Amino acid sequence: MRGLWPIFKREVFAHFVTPLAWVAMTAFLLIQGLHFFLIVQHFAGQLDLSADAGPVQTYFGQTMMLYLPLLFVCPVLTMRLFAEERRSGTIEPLLTAPIETAGVVLGKYLAVVLIYAAMWLPTLLYMLLLSRYGEVDWHVVASGYLAVLAIGAGYLAIGTMTSALAKSQLAAALTSAMAIIGLFMIGVGEFIFPEGIGRDIAGHVSAWAQMNDFSRGIIDSRRLVFDATVVVLPLFITVRAVDAWRLE
Amino acid sequence: MIEVEHLSKSYRGIEAVSNLSFRVERGQVVGFLGPNGAGKSTTLRILAGFLGASSGRVRIAGFDIVDERLQALRQIGYMPETSPLYPEMKVREYLAFRAELKGVARTKRRVEIARCLELARVSEMAGVPIGHLSKGYRQRVGLADALLNSPPLLILDEPTAGLDPNQIREVRALIATLAEEHTVLVSTHILSEVEASCSRAVVIAKGRLVAVGSIDEIRGRGRPELTLVLRGTEALVRATLSGLDGIASATVEVHGDTLRAKAILTAEDDAALGEATERIVRALAQADVGVREVRTTTATLEEVFATLTRDDMNSATTDEAAP
Repeated sequence: MRGLWPIFKREVFAHFVTPLAWVAMTAFLLIQGLHFFLIVQHFAGQLDLSADAGPVQTYFGQTMMLYLPLLFVCPVLTMRLFAEERRSGTIEPLLTAPIETAGVVLGKYLAVVLIYAAMWLPTLLYMLLLSRYGEVDWHVVASGYLAVLAIGAGYLAIGTMTSALAKSQLAAALTSAMAIIGLFMIGVGEFIFPEGIGRDIAGHVSAWAQMNDFSRGIIDSRRLVFDATVVVLPLFITVRAVDAWRLE
Repeated sequence: MIEVEHLSKSYRGIEAVSNLSFRVERGQVVGFLGPNGAGKSTTLRILAGFLGASSGRVRIAGFDIVDERLQALRQIGYMPETSPLYPEMKVREYLAFRAELKGVARTKRRVEIARCLELARVSEMAGVPIGHLSKGYRQRVGLADALLNSPPLLILDEPTAGLDPNQIREVRALIATLAEEHTVLVSTHILSEVEASCSRAVVIAKGRLVAVGSIDEIRGRGRPELTLVLRGTEALVRATLSGLDGIASATVEVHGDTLRAKAILTAEDDAALGEATERIVRALAQADVGVREVRTTTATLEEVFATLTRDDMNSATTDEAAP
């Protein structure tokens, strides 16, 4: 896919020279740090622990604080991607280079996925800290991070799409935040809807339920298929949207 | 090198480019002229593959810009109007990024970037972030980008806009050197630029083609003018001039005890001009008007441009444009 690699590199570089990326990452880590602190403090007061309800499981699956920040951090990471290029006009040299639109879209998308993964990287320290003072089930850690990555990848794809559809960064961030929160709220329907198809669907798309499963080491391929759909569909729409600008 | 056939482009119902057809042959330096808002940028954006046409087709070196997009784009070095760049990147970083996008082999990249920096005269700014550069230098970075990988065709949209006179002269000289290896299509609304650096011109107005040809051919489309200093009565001069063939329009003014008459002639070449001049002078002499001074002037490109683009609707239909 021509253009993917140079665009990926440039996009990663561009993120790290914008102050906003550092602000978002710092805020994210502060919240996760607080989150971890509260969990550890809670478990420190308990005398005996059951096997699948330790601090790691709780960190990944039992609290809102893990992914609530994602609802805001993902839109901030993706809002620039296309909206800024269109505002400043740099989209013109970019799209007149001999490269494929899919390369442009994937290069940009993979760059934010990398930054997202880098944002989570420091939280591995929490796991290392825990392992020094107790038992850590590394399978659970791995499946926890897998779920965090899979859910985030979908949210970032949605953000990439809204950045290509919206005229400004702000509009891109707001629409992707609304879309992501909307998706999350459908999942919450699992606890609200009466027994039936509504609840089944809600349970299937629920990020909450997915984190709950994965935090106990249960890797359900149906959930991963759903996550992949949330990645592929918005990216496909993004490619079509970028191609459609020519016909405006 | 460029074949444009019946190109039209509408934006939300407004026609920006309308049934435009022209060709640019390999090795030519062609000025793309028109008043502001004539559709120049829109046309160039379509040629460079940034915008799609509403109808018609464009071929670059034989490749269709829609169906064989990547091959066509590889032939083009395009510099968009105002040359938008990433402000956070340094000049050399930006060109390295562009060179990679354009498929310059890794081992050749350093040399190629140095060559383009040198050609566009931005070598001394290679390590400066683009955001810190003046407008003139940004234009040159855009130019260096267009030159990367030596594309056979350069499409430059207003490369001298916003530059000071010295910079304009430098860009002009650069275009002259580039003409040796590249076909160049350069848009501008500054006519002296076209006269200085282009062999041919395409003139559009309101999205329509009004003239295409060599600079001399286009200049020849203007009408010659005859200025006379006469002695006699205004009414007599008017009457005499109005009875003659070969005069498109005439004005007569009183200047002290002489008259100054200006006649725009319909003559299309030098022989016809001489003959018409002779006839007019003879008629005036026969009418007993004293002829003190006769001066003929042929139109400058500027005047031709003004006439062509003002009554564009009429001339568009009578144009001898290429198919």
